[in-house]
Amino acid sequence: MGLILFYVKKLIIIFKNEVLVLPSRVVVVFFFLFLLLLPVVTKDDYILRIFTLASIFALLAASWDLLSGFTGQMNFGHALFFGVGAYGAALINLHANIPPWGSIPLGALCAVLAGLIIGIPCLRLKGTYLALTTLAFPIILIGLVFAFPGLSGGELGISGIARLSQSRVADYYIVVVLLLGLCTIMWKITDSNTGIIFHAIREDEVAVRAAGINTTRYKLLAFCLSGFFAGISGGLYAHFMRIAGPSTLEVSLSFQVVIYAVFGGIVTIYGPIGAVFILFPMLEFLRFWQDYRTLMFACVVLLILLYMPDGLFRWLRDKIEKECPRCKIRNISTRDTCRVCTAPLD
Amino acid sequence: MNKLNKRIFLLAMVSLFALSFCTLVFAQEIKIGVIGPMKFVQGIGHWNGAVMAAEQINDKGGIQVGAAKMKIKLVQADSNEFLNVTDATNAMERLITNDKVDLIVGGFRTEAVLAMQDIAMEKKKIFIGCGAAHPELCLRVAKNYNTYKYFFRGTPFNSTYLVKSTFFHLGAVAAVMKKQLKIPKIKVAIVAEKAVWADPLIPAANETLPKMGMEVAGVWRPSPVATDVTAELSAIQRSGAHIIFTFFSSSVGIPFARQAGELKIPAIQIGINVEAQKEGFWQATQGKGDYVMSSNTYSRGVVYNELTMPFVNGYIAKFGEVPTYTADTYAAIVYGLAPSITQAGTLDADKLVSILEERVYDVPSGTVKYMKDAEGKHLHDLTFGPGNITGISTQWQNGKLVGVWPNKWKMTPESPEVTHKGIVPIMLPPWMTKMYKK
Amino acid sequence: MNLVIDIVISGLISGSVYALLAIGFSLIFGVARIVNIAHTAFYMVASYCIYVVTQKMGLNPLWGMVAAIVLVTMLGMISYKIFINPIREHEGAVLIATIALAIIIQEIMSNIFTGTYLSVPALIEGYFTILGVKVFFQQLLTFCAALFIMAALWVLLRRTKLGLAIRSTAQDREVANLMGINEARVAMITMGLSVGLAGLTGAVVVPLTILEPNMWLSPLIMMMAVVVLGGLGSLKGSFLGAYILGFAEALVVFLAPMGAYLKGSVALSIMILVLLIRPEGLFGVYFEEER
Repeated sequence: MGLILFYVKKLIIIFKNEVLVLPSRVVVVFFFLFLLLLPVVTKDDYILRIFTLASIFALLAASWDLLSGFTGQMNFGHALFFGVGAYGAALINLHANIPPWGSIPLGALCAVLAGLIIGIPCLRLKGTYLALTTLAFPIILIGLVFAFPGLSGGELGISGIARLSQSRVADYYIVVVLLLGLCTIMWKITDSNTGIIFHAIREDEVAVRAAGINTTRYKLLAFCLSGFFAGISGGLYAHFMRIAGPSTLEVSLSFQVVIYAVFGGIVTIYGPIGAVFILFPMLEFLRFWQDYRTLMFACVVLLILLYMPDGLFRWLRDKIEKECPRCKIRNISTRDTCRVCTAPLD
Repeated sequence: MNKLNKRIFLLAMVSLFALSFCTLVFAQEIKIGVIGPMKFVQGIGHWNGAVMAAEQINDKGGIQVGAAKMKIKLVQADSNEFLNVTDATNAMERLITNDKVDLIVGGFRTEAVLAMQDIAMEKKKIFIGCGAAHPELCLRVAKNYNTYKYFFRGTPFNSTYLVKSTFFHLGAVAAVMKKQLKIPKIKVAIVAEKAVWADPLIPAANETLPKMGMEVAGVWRPSPVATDVTAELSAIQRSGAHIIFTFFSSSVGIPFARQAGELKIPAIQIGINVEAQKEGFWQATQGKGDYVMSSNTYSRGVVYNELTMPFVNGYIAKFGEVPTYTADTYAAIVYGLAPSITQAGTLDADKLVSILEERVYDVPSGTVKYMKDAEGKHLHDLTFGPGNITGISTQWQNGKLVGVWPNKWKMTPESPEVTHKGIVPIMLPPWMTKMYKK
Repeated sequence: MNLVIDIVISGLISGSVYALLAIGFSLIFGVARIVNIAHTAFYMVASYCIYVVTQKMGLNPLWGMVAAIVLVTMLGMISYKIFINPIREHEGAVLIATIALAIIIQEIMSNIFTGTYLSVPALIEGYFTILGVKVFFQQLLTFCAALFIMAALWVLLRRTKLGLAIRSTAQDREVANLMGINEARVAMITMGLSVGLAGLTGAVVVPLTILEPNMWLSPLIMMMAVVVLGGLGSLKGSFLGAYILGFAEALVVFLAPMGAYLKGSVALSIMILVLLIRPEGLFGVYFEEER
């Protein structure tokens, strides 16, 4: 009994000193709580559907950021991973009769394979060349999808896929838990040694090579990781919508992902996630103004970019937090001195 | 009781009364959701047909449901299905959970309708599909009746019949050609857009055409959204084809007709060209789309039965153009849903389903009878044939869209002969007649 | 033999269409390092402008062309000034801004004209037969326009002071600034030039195609493939790349009529193959990363 109390007290102290200290961490906690407790507040199928889809796209956008934000490999064909994951999960589920908890990871592995296939030619390409080449891959895949309609269902896609679970609420929880879990993993990756190397590759690849690190391996690792997470979101999408069609490979989807990520702020994992949760419900909410929905969406994106070109969440975070000049720890911006090293914050 | 209790009791009675009054007032309406690509001709057709139906019914006081008359309230939902299938499913879900509609009509793009159908079936709402022709939508009904029984196809008849009917059109054109130009063996170039619905026709055509005494000159599969088909047209001309058998549902129908007309290719285009069904086709091809034939449903002057003219003329008076087949949401509501609701006396979906699937009723384009599959299971699909629904084939003649088939047509040698009022003879392009009548 | 002529002529014509688009795109990228995703969206605006002038006002298509080019150039320069110039330093943001701009243009066109397919009369009607192949006059016009534009640009870049300024800004922005060239103004003028070219392309090409609010996506992809194949920033490369991909498409359509829909995929695969061998495209200048 006393031991449990001890650990609980420890948890409370950690919470008070680590989490409550920074507003951004408080926001993250609130976000987690909001997502997890939403079904308790509302059982409306439509709202749960919006948030489930938002979670799936958030996972996709975060995986894009891992590749293009951190490693700097601008990927304009992210729909490829999404589509391969969706089609892979659909085909495996339909033909091998494996239930969703098996077909989704296997679909994601197909997406990883796709990541390798496109990563290898892209190793020597830089900047805009890389962006435009990656744009080409989903289009080639759509051509292949139409060339083999027997296997892929042509423009109708594959339908009749098994459901994720029996009820909308269970679907929602599966997706949200996966989102939160996988994004935490992504966050941890970017915080680790591998993450530092990703940052370094983006900043100056030649210097990294000069330091003796095998950038090829790390770049391919980034492609594969990104492909894996995007493939999972693709598989979830296929099982949630119960149909996987060429709309999962469209150029407009690739563009949307890039918009979400840059809007929220690249080189952060939370930026794209937040952006999706703001923009996607906003797009749905604007349905009452049907004719101007997409126009409003594009205008909002354009205006935000004019004033916050680094991304919305980066800008917000810079407004509420300050970095200590001496120890580089983040502090809430209302403080005068750093909470760790007591250096004056200006 | 003391004063407070009395007051509470009075308040309770009044609120109860008010509540029941409210539900009574609200319950006076039947909400019908119209879902389609509202920025495009197909969705506009969905909406216009439904508006016409609702106004007509509401003018008479509404639909008789049991003892009360309930008016129709239409709810529009833009599925945006051409651009985004996710959007379409969101729109359907919103229609059902937020707008709380009782019945749904519409849908066009098969990939989206398959997903939208799932949602409506889950929520046990009757969904009448007015645009998607894929057989799978109705095969699902037979495979899993209890889940999918709420789906009915309103229009068009499914793609296997669509293809079959085009072969009848082809036969009619071939007969005219043989008579006027005395060509011994007619060559047919098959041009089908690269789409799944068109895939089965290539083997079907390769098999059927020789039996009809014609030769296949070649098969071309342009992209459904191709804008320049001069390459294909040169090759077709070189193959010496007399008939171009087209299967276009997407925008490629326009440049194909226009460029073929501009290049004066000596062959007549017949088959399915969805763009050629619309009155805007003339402008879209800059007037070069003459003599193009296509399967169609409505045309000015063509009469199927006594319901056709009031509908077509009423639609033209209200909206300024001839209705396309997606405007059959009108028929779905006025002749399909409304009488079934009156007969059932309730809006209960299960009761409505059992009535709808058995009824045989007239609509402006023929007679609706829902078919069963080979094992006797319900398909909720439209029966094709003389006496039911056959559609027509229209041709652009001198800038006007006129009906040219069925003209003294017999489906089988034993069937009755069918000619609708308003059908005119097929015209061959003059440059073709000039070239062959040497 | 007929087949070969067909392929050559067809390749020349589609190559010319891509060349016209790619040259404009390559120009603005070379000078200002802006990947203007909205390039084909301006082409779309020009097309709709011609539609309005010819169909709604009933004037000669030539007036439509003039109006279109003027309108589009002004629109391009205004959007550059308001939306792109303030965020020029953030490449990612510029990219997204151009995408958002393209979407806005698409939605405005969709709201005004709805999704119905429209078309525009040709500047010169009719066709003629060359070596047994029928060619539209409008297609010949496109081919001649491509050659003319290429020649005109060459003269502009090599023989005028403005051309010198453009070339030096393209080579090294900072040093050009140091040399007294108003780099911002050069970028603005190049943007106007590039968008004007997009407008001209619309004017010349649009009678051969259909107008609808989504018409900007497919040329965009082919244009980017051409530019990447030829090498970003190299006009000569874009010109040649356009004809290479045009011929590739013609080959696919003629040799594999059952697979005509694959022409886009084949063209893109060729681009990827070339990039595997030469990562900077055929004539691309490989700039050392501007630190």
